[in-house]
Amino acid sequence: MAFKVIGENVLRVDGHTKVTGGAKYPADLALENMLYGKTLRSTKAHANFTIDTKKAENIHGVVGVLTAKDIPGKNCHGVLFKDHEAICESRVRRIGDPMAVVIAESERIAEKALESIEVAYEELAAVFDPEEAMKEEAPKIHGEDNTVFHFKIRRGNVDKAFEEAAVIVEDTYYTGAVDHAFLQPEAGIAYEEEDGTLTVIAATQYPHFDRMDIAGAMGMEEEEIRIINPAVGGAFGGREDLTLQIHLAVAAKKFKRPIKMVYDRKESFLAHCKRHPITMHCKTAADKDGKLLALKTRIVGDTGAYASWAVNVLRKAGVHITGPYEIPNVWVDSYAVYTNNPFAGAMRGFGATQPPIAHEQQMDRIAEKLGMDPFSIRRKNLFTLGSKTATEQVLRESVPLGRCLDALEAAMNEKPLPDENINYLEDLKERQAKKEGAWNEKNR
Amino acid sequence: MKKTGKGIGIMFYGTGYGNGYPDISRAKAKIDTDGRFTISSGACEVGQGAKTSLAQIPAEILGILTKEVIFDHEDTKTTLDAGTCAASRQTYNTGNAMKMASESLKRILESKAREILNLSEEEPLVFDNHEVIVEGDPSKRISFKQIANTADVGDLEVVEIFQAVTTKMNEETGEGNPYWPYTFGACGVEVVVDTETGTLDISKAILVQDVGRAVNPKLIEGQMDGGFAMAQGYALLEDLNIVKGEIKHHNFTKYLIPTALDAVEVKKIIVEDPESSAPFGAKGIGEPVMIPVAPAILNAIYDAVGVRITEIPVTPEKLLKAIKEVG
Repeated sequence: MAFKVIGENVLRVDGHTKVTGGAKYPADLALENMLYGKTLRSTKAHANFTIDTKKAENIHGVVGVLTAKDIPGKNCHGVLFKDHEAICESRVRRIGDPMAVVIAESERIAEKALESIEVAYEELAAVFDPEEAMKEEAPKIHGEDNTVFHFKIRRGNVDKAFEEAAVIVEDTYYTGAVDHAFLQPEAGIAYEEEDGTLTVIAATQYPHFDRMDIAGAMGMEEEEIRIINPAVGGAFGGREDLTLQIHLAVAAKKFKRPIKMVYDRKESFLAHCKRHPITMHCKTAADKDGKLLALKTRIVGDTGAYASWAVNVLRKAGVHITGPYEIPNVWVDSYAVYTNNPFAGAMRGFGATQPPIAHEQQMDRIAEKLGMDPFSIRRKNLFTLGSKTATEQVLRESVPLGRCLDALEAAMNEKPLPDENINYLEDLKERQAKKEGAWNEKNR
Repeated sequence: MKKTGKGIGIMFYGTGYGNGYPDISRAKAKIDTDGRFTISSGACEVGQGAKTSLAQIPAEILGILTKEVIFDHEDTKTTLDAGTCAASRQTYNTGNAMKMASESLKRILESKAREILNLSEEEPLVFDNHEVIVEGDPSKRISFKQIANTADVGDLEVVEIFQAVTTKMNEETGEGNPYWPYTFGACGVEVVVDTETGTLDISKAILVQDVGRAVNPKLIEGQMDGGFAMAQGYALLEDLNIVKGEIKHHNFTKYLIPTALDAVEVKKIIVEDPESSAPFGAKGIGEPVMIPVAPAILNAIYDAVGVRITEIPVTPEKLLKAIKEVG
């Protein structure tokens, strides 16, 4: 089957406007009679507080200061648990938590007015190490337990396999928190339309989800909220949890004028999630031929002050910690833990980017001990068609990992690529017909 | 002294929300009274190229150019929920929904064309340039616009929903089918380490990516270059320096990410192995392209200087200290 469009290097339809500066990112937008918002953020990692906004409100050009009491609906949002407050009411759990939003006639006035807001903190014991946070006596961030999630894999008998192994490699690996560092910091505009629709224009990864969270905080129906997603200057997972959207919506509704907010880089770093810092302790065993026998691992991910996607991320880490290898005996404990650190959430790879730091070094170490080369040890163990993962999932099709490795080895050695690795265009229809139809039928 | 080493890393990545969570994309395809084709779906263009590659799917099915596809995806007022633009799921999930909607619309157009042109069910039809044409008898043809003008409102509009198939894992054993499909990849690098400064150059880089099927190879290569650079920063540079909950490196003077000067010429190899549940076989690659790079760099460092780095980022200070420790 020949394709006309699939497989073609069609020029990016949005390419020209982006490279010539014509594309409209939210920071580029302006509306008549617009007001500006600036956020006051916590400087304490864990504290109760009281806030007095009177002085700021009296500054010429300030039209108002939003605090938790201005949220008309539920003062919460979050991708999985609604554990973020849109504006913190009386307690902050991390440095950077939003406590108030100044709305003013100009950005400068709003910025300046932040200094006039009076905050009295009563600091609470804080915890920054997830191992410490898991202990019973640790200060609690939300509820009674800082352990948000515990994922387990129990396959085969790891202890027996370790006894029988020819080689065992054990170490602890750590990956740090990083920022998405997308080019365009958070920005947006909100306004009320004539029919009462509340419109929020902000760069996002999921407009319909933003709409739901905004509707909840506004106490409005989803249909009354409209999200417009203009040009997005990168996301990588950093635009999944809401940042300024609810603030914009609340202010636009309250002051009946369009509101604009633009974060600078520092505020962007404070506002959105980070990649989960993860500690992975791995004990990996192989027989004398390099065939993997067992993996026992304990994974601890620091989700900081809010859960965001912690459950899904540490689950993904737990599933992917085996690497793309068949291992008959696997024991995984993967934990997500609250601390008072910057909150962690989605970032490119979503819990699958950290594990290879561990498993790929484990593989090389086993190879070295057995006098094998890195390619051979991987070939001996890698997933192929029909392989079972540690969760007993059968990989029934499209498992070209061996071919990827063949291509890599050829390229590393500056040899020609195996032909089949280029333009591998097997007829999909034929292929589908050949496949075991029953499995498809059942699972589609 | 400068020491050279090579290292590789391989990976797998399970697409989508996973674990049985309803992973749903919706798309609406329609022909308006001017004969123009619009596909509406709330999938975001975040820089990855969705606006282009997703539009190639209906273009293929309806025989029109990608630039003629009106892809309405920016506004919740006019689009249906297509899930989040994350988990490398848009090509697979929304791609499937858009393919299904376009195919359903195509079937409607075919049936209308047969009705209007008085054709039998057997006569083969082709779609080209906004027209339905009888294959082998191009005198018998009708444009999308002509069909639209004879159709009732809403006739040429169809919504399709795609849901990925995964299962919830057993809470005690982990048994289950948490993700589908899986995407694979491999990376190899050669590094040159300066043992006096702890700095490192990547002198050679190869990234091999399984894509199922390449919808737009150039855009995939763009993702591969971007993924490599992001992983390079992850492995070697990026440190927020969080002290007691405070981000000390909160701007690009302190939080270093790779610049154009750090960018490496990456040899990019695309491997195809179409996945039958995917649109034309295409799997998502947005995240996978980043994943095998950092471990390849770490393994190359060991090959070069004999130190095992178990903590990233491997800043020059950290590497120098480690080199000194092993002597």
